[in-house]
Amino acid sequence: MSIHNNKLNIKTAQDIQRPKLTIDADVVVIGSGAGGAISAYELAKQGKKVVVLEAGPYVPSSEFKEMLAIAMGTMYQDEGGQSNTHGDVTVLQGACVGGSTVVNAALCFRTPDYFLNLWRDEHGLGNLTSERMSVYFDKIEKNLSIEPNVKHETSIGADLILKGLTKLDIEPGIAKRNIRDCAMTGFCFAGCKTDRKQSMLVTYLPWACNHGAEIYADTRVTRIMTSNGQASGVEAEVVDPKTKVVKSQVTVNAPIVVLAAGPVQSPIVLQRSGIANSSGQVGKNFACHPSLSVTAMFEEEVDDFHGATHSLYVDTHTLPEEGGYILLNALQEPVEASFQAEPGTGENYVAYMEKYRNSIRLITLIHDKNVGEVRYTDGVKEIIYEVDDHDFESMKEGLKFNAKILFAAGAKYLYLPTSDRTVINSVEEIDSVIDSLKNEPARYRYTSFHPQGTCRMGGDPKNSVVNPYGETHDVKKLYISDASLLPTSIGYNPSETVYALSHYIADEIIKANFS
Amino acid sequence: MKDLMISRRRFIKNVAMVAASISALPVVNAIAGVLTDESRMDDLEQAVFAKMLKIALPTESSSLVDSASLPVLSTIEGALLAGMAPNIRQGLRGGISYFNEGSVKSFGDRFVNLSDADATRFVDQWSASAEPPERALSMGIKKLTVLAYWAIPSTWGPLGYDGPVSDKWNLSSLGNTPEPTI
Repeated sequence: MSIHNNKLNIKTAQDIQRPKLTIDADVVVIGSGAGGAISAYELAKQGKKVVVLEAGPYVPSSEFKEMLAIAMGTMYQDEGGQSNTHGDVTVLQGACVGGSTVVNAALCFRTPDYFLNLWRDEHGLGNLTSERMSVYFDKIEKNLSIEPNVKHETSIGADLILKGLTKLDIEPGIAKRNIRDCAMTGFCFAGCKTDRKQSMLVTYLPWACNHGAEIYADTRVTRIMTSNGQASGVEAEVVDPKTKVVKSQVTVNAPIVVLAAGPVQSPIVLQRSGIANSSGQVGKNFACHPSLSVTAMFEEEVDDFHGATHSLYVDTHTLPEEGGYILLNALQEPVEASFQAEPGTGENYVAYMEKYRNSIRLITLIHDKNVGEVRYTDGVKEIIYEVDDHDFESMKEGLKFNAKILFAAGAKYLYLPTSDRTVINSVEEIDSVIDSLKNEPARYRYTSFHPQGTCRMGGDPKNSVVNPYGETHDVKKLYISDASLLPTSIGYNPSETVYALSHYIADEIIKANFS
Repeated sequence: MKDLMISRRRFIKNVAMVAASISALPVVNAIAGVLTDESRMDDLEQAVFAKMLKIALPTESSSLVDSASLPVLSTIEGALLAGMAPNIRQGLRGGISYFNEGSVKSFGDRFVNLSDADATRFVDQWSASAEPPERALSMGIKKLTVLAYWAIPSTWGPLGYDGPVSDKWNLSSLGNTPEPTI
C-alpha cells in the first residue's frame, strides 16, 4: 500500500476507546526511535503491513515549548528523572514518538574503524566491515542531511572555545549534524519546533506511513509472544498519559517482531517476556558514556543562549589508547545551569546565577567500560551502574584538558560539577584540584545521553543476545535494532551507528524473510 | 553488635535508595497528573521545601525575582509529585523526613527549625559529607527546589535570558522532509 501524503498515520490513547484490540500485521515494531523508525520504513517499503508501538506520547513539533523543563516532563523517559540506582548518573532518553532522535543534539559520527575491528576480533562481528558499513553511512547521511556545520552554525561559547583551542594548538572538530537549514535557536534538547532537525518524527516515520505503516502512541509492550521458538507477536497496554490508567489491552499478531525500545527498555521487555536469555546477557554490559560539564565564568557577559546546540568537539584523545574522552561544547538554558555547578548554598548560589550571562560550558564525555546492568525486579526498573575506577581516571584527564582549554579561552574561574563547591581559579590549580577528586557515588553530577550495550550482538550465543544479523540467538524472527546491540561503548555519539546498524538489520530481515 | 551492623547497613542502603530516588526525580511535567491525597505534600514536606527555597535562593538583596512571590512549592507539587509512582512517592517522604532529622546531631534541632545561617551550613555540610546518602539527599532536595524556581519563565528576566525564540523570530516550519526517491 502506498499513500504518500507524507504524514503520520497515528493513533493515541485518546483515539482508542475499545478495552480490547487485536491487530494482525506482517511486522510489529516496538519503539519509534532511530531503530524502530528505520526498520518500519524499510520493511513497509517492501509492501509489508507494519505496526509501530510507541510507549511514549505523540507530541507534534508545533507543540514544542522550547523550554527544557517542559520538554523533560513530556518527551523524556521518566520525565527526565531516569537514573542509575545511586542517583548520580541521569540517563536521558527520549520517550515520545520519534524517541531520542527528537531530543538529541543531532550530532553524528561514523563508527570508528577501531571499534568495528574490535567487534570483529573480539565479538565475532566480521560482517560489520568498514566497507559494508560505509554503504549504510552514505545512505543515512544522504537521507538525514548529515553535513558538517557551515561557518555560521556555531555559538558564542563555541567561538570562545575555538580561540582557546587555537591558542593551545589543539585541532578542533567541526560537528556533523542531521539538520536542514538550522535556525540556530539552540533548543535541540527541547525538540526542534520548526522541523529543521531531521528526527524520525519528520523523516522515517512519515515515510513509513507513506507505505501503510500504522503508529500507536501511548502503547507500552508488556510481553513478546512466541510459538515453537519463534516470535509470534506482542501484548501491549494503551495507557492514558495523564491518568496513567490502562485504557485498552492490545494484541498484535505478527510473524516478525523488531524490538527497538532502546537500551534500557529493550532488555526489560525481554526480561518481562522471559525469553532470549540463554546466555544470561540480557540487561548486562550496560555502558552510558557518562559526561560532566565544566562551567566557565568570564569577566564579560557572553550570552551563550542561542546558536547551534553543539558545533565544536575535540576528539584528539577519544580512542581508548589515546585517553578515552571527547570534549563537546553545548549551550545551556537557566534550568540546566541551575544544577550543573555547585557554587555553595545561599548567597554564593545567587551570585552564580546572577552571572549566568557570563558562563559557558564544555562537556567531558568518556568511553566507558560495559560494567552496568539493567534489571527488572518486582515491577521496578533498576539501572545498576557505577563509574569504573579506570574510567574515572580517563574522566579526570578529560577534565584537566577541558579546564586548560577554558582558561585559554579567557575564563576567569571554573566550577566542577561536584556535590559540594569545587572551584578552579587558575591554570596552576587545575592539576591539584582534579587530582584530588575521588571516584565516589553521589559525588558528581553525571549526565548520560548515550545508554548502550544491554542486548549485545555477537557471534557466540554463549556470551551475546543477538546474532551478527540482528536476530536473537534464542528466538527466531525476533530482531533487535537499537543501541542495546553495541558490544562496547564507542566514545562518540552513537546515533549514526544506530541509524546505520538499523538499515543493515532491515536489509538482513528482508533477505531472510522476503527475498 | 553484628545485628546492629547489619541493621545499619540495611538502613544506609534504604536511605541510599531513597536519596537516589530524590536526586533522580522528574523535572516538570507539563501534562500534570492528577494530584491525589497520597501524592499531595504533607505539612513536613511543605516546611522542608519552603525552608530550602528560602536558604537556597535568598533573593532579597539580589537582582533575582523574589522567590517568595512565585508558586515554587505548587510547581513542585503539581508538576512533580502528581502522577509519581507510589513507591517513589513514599520514598520521597522518607528521604525528606530523614533529611529534616539529620541536622539534630550537629545543630541541635530539625532542619525546618534552624536559623537560615545554620540551615545553610547544614546543607553545605551534607553536600560534602563522607556518606553518599547525605550527599545525595542534600544535592537532590536542593536541586528540586531551585529547578522548580528556574522552570518559571518570569525568573529569566534578571538573567538577561530571552527564552523561546521561534515564534519571536517568525521562523517557519520546514514540515516533514520529502521521502527519498531512490
